[in-house]
Amino acid sequence: MTDTSISPFPVELTNPKKPARFALARRTIITPIFLSLLILAVATLAIMTGSRPFNQAMIDILVRVTLVVGLYIFIGNSGVLSFGHIGFTCLGAYAAAWLTINPLMKKTSLPGLPNFILQARLPYWEAAPIAAIFAGVIALILGRILMRLSGIAASIATFAVLAMINTIYSNWESVTGATSSVVGIPIVRNIWPYVGAAIIAIFIAWGHAISRSGLALRAARDEPTAAAASGVDIPKERLVAFTISGIVMGLGGAAMAHSIGVVTPDNFYLGLTFITLSMLVVGGMSSLSGAVLGVLLLSALIQGLRWLEAGVVLGETTFALPKGLQEIALGGLMIVILALRPAGLIGNREITFARFKGKA
Amino acid sequence: MGHLSAEYVSVAFAGLKALSSVTLRIQSGHISGLIGPNGAGKTTLVNVLTGFQIPTEGTVILNGQPLGRLKPHEVRRRGIARTFQSGRLFRDLPVIDNLEVTGVGLGMSRRTAVAEAEAMLDWIGISALSSRIAGTLPYTDERRVAIGRALMGRPAYILLDEPAAGMSAAEATELSNLVRRIARDLGCGVLIIEHNVGLVLGLCDHIVVLDSGAVIEEGVPADIRKSEKVRHAYMGTAAETSLPAEEVML
Repeated sequence: MTDTSISPFPVELTNPKKPARFALARRTIITPIFLSLLILAVATLAIMTGSRPFNQAMIDILVRVTLVVGLYIFIGNSGVLSFGHIGFTCLGAYAAAWLTINPLMKKTSLPGLPNFILQARLPYWEAAPIAAIFAGVIALILGRILMRLSGIAASIATFAVLAMINTIYSNWESVTGATSSVVGIPIVRNIWPYVGAAIIAIFIAWGHAISRSGLALRAARDEPTAAAASGVDIPKERLVAFTISGIVMGLGGAAMAHSIGVVTPDNFYLGLTFITLSMLVVGGMSSLSGAVLGVLLLSALIQGLRWLEAGVVLGETTFALPKGLQEIALGGLMIVILALRPAGLIGNREITFARFKGKA
Repeated sequence: MGHLSAEYVSVAFAGLKALSSVTLRIQSGHISGLIGPNGAGKTTLVNVLTGFQIPTEGTVILNGQPLGRLKPHEVRRRGIARTFQSGRLFRDLPVIDNLEVTGVGLGMSRRTAVAEAEAMLDWIGISALSSRIAGTLPYTDERRVAIGRALMGRPAYILLDEPAAGMSAAEATELSNLVRRIARDLGCGVLIIEHNVGLVLGLCDHIVVLDSGAVIEEGVPADIRKSEKVRHAYMGTAAETSLPAEEVML
């Protein structure tokens, strides 16, 4: 029989000694620092080469880093595959366009915009954060409904979000220009703002991953039942990640708008969804390092194939690969990696130089 | 002294009654046992007590107040913890993070949660496992980590679903000692579901026997051991499980 008089509470369980402040951050910060250095190396390479097309190619890569890191924040931590995130990129890109295009042009091309937006002409560094927050607010609103779903139902619902946003932006003539291109977005050719966006995305993703919410969400990804039994409010933690990733996707959208100067709804639809998801899957869906490396590796491959498709002159002859090989090679590579390494090249680990301790 | 009880709880799945009007009471600092043949409804009852299963009829009462239709995480935040038959650790996370998840789930900062988690591992005696990835642990360690995870934040009640399944006699003895400490030192009300009837008879203050979704017997271990109904329920449906003739000393 158990004694009904309860003995004093065990001393070792009362007020245990807490670790030093920021101990966890200090232990894990090497990952975002390493990834940021990698990004800086890419930028330096572009500047040293001095070639304009190469510079543009590097800018495209940095924009994709921002987008794929944004995807990772939600997909990687929650394990819920989302096909809808490029919708938030669309929101961010158009918001950046609305805020930065010359008001005279907007009055004729986008007359349906509210007056305060019509008259606004912000520099890109002010417009981009606003665009990101706009995308985040919409993600928060949609997420409140979506995050109650799980598994395949949630994935299909995110796809519906993508289709919805695309349909609205393809038809709301006076505000989005419908399917015709919105032109006149100030083009930014300097690579550093894109470096900044990618590094900000990486640090946001890291901060979320080591937060309480990030830990709880990864637990829910592995064992939802046990996570709920551990006090984790799964829809809430998913919503947090969904909103943060919406913000980063919006930031990526603004960056994309300024890198090409023109937006149409179809820039932000299935093509971009497929390519960004492939990069995440190839690198390693549940790893921040995997997200970044996936972009760099696949982008290098795509660039290489483009170069070969255009033709290489060797002496007197030109060797060229057939057009379209790029897409086929990309698809083939994805199938091979999914077959051989379903968790991606990096798996669920992070690049650290310290003792490996799971994920954050 | 607090109570957690299921009162006249019935659960029907597509017309099939999994539980019919079951009443069970768990008391702070006491160990209650829930036994019965496979399919008797034991896990269903734990699911009802922890918000994973909404009862068709009846209520769960915590310290005199009906729990209502709380979600599992809300039930946990009221101090009712549980473990699962299959362990269900967060396999990709280190052991320490497995415990930390409950800490942050209950609203602690990560700093507080990691400190509490370390203290808990130490109290259970598995500090050495702290940085092991949970998915690589042997079975018995997995069980102890799952208990540690459930004990984070000092729940008032803990429901253990077959914690000794697959354990050797020595490991089961060690587990019994841990369960006694949980009740005595932490003041927790414990409910233990076990197929190892010997372990339950030696450990519990009070035992409830379920068969086909209904309580067929309850009382102190001595009563249960003498019960013809219990013997019949076990012999009739699961020949390999029989009541030990004498108390297994633990």
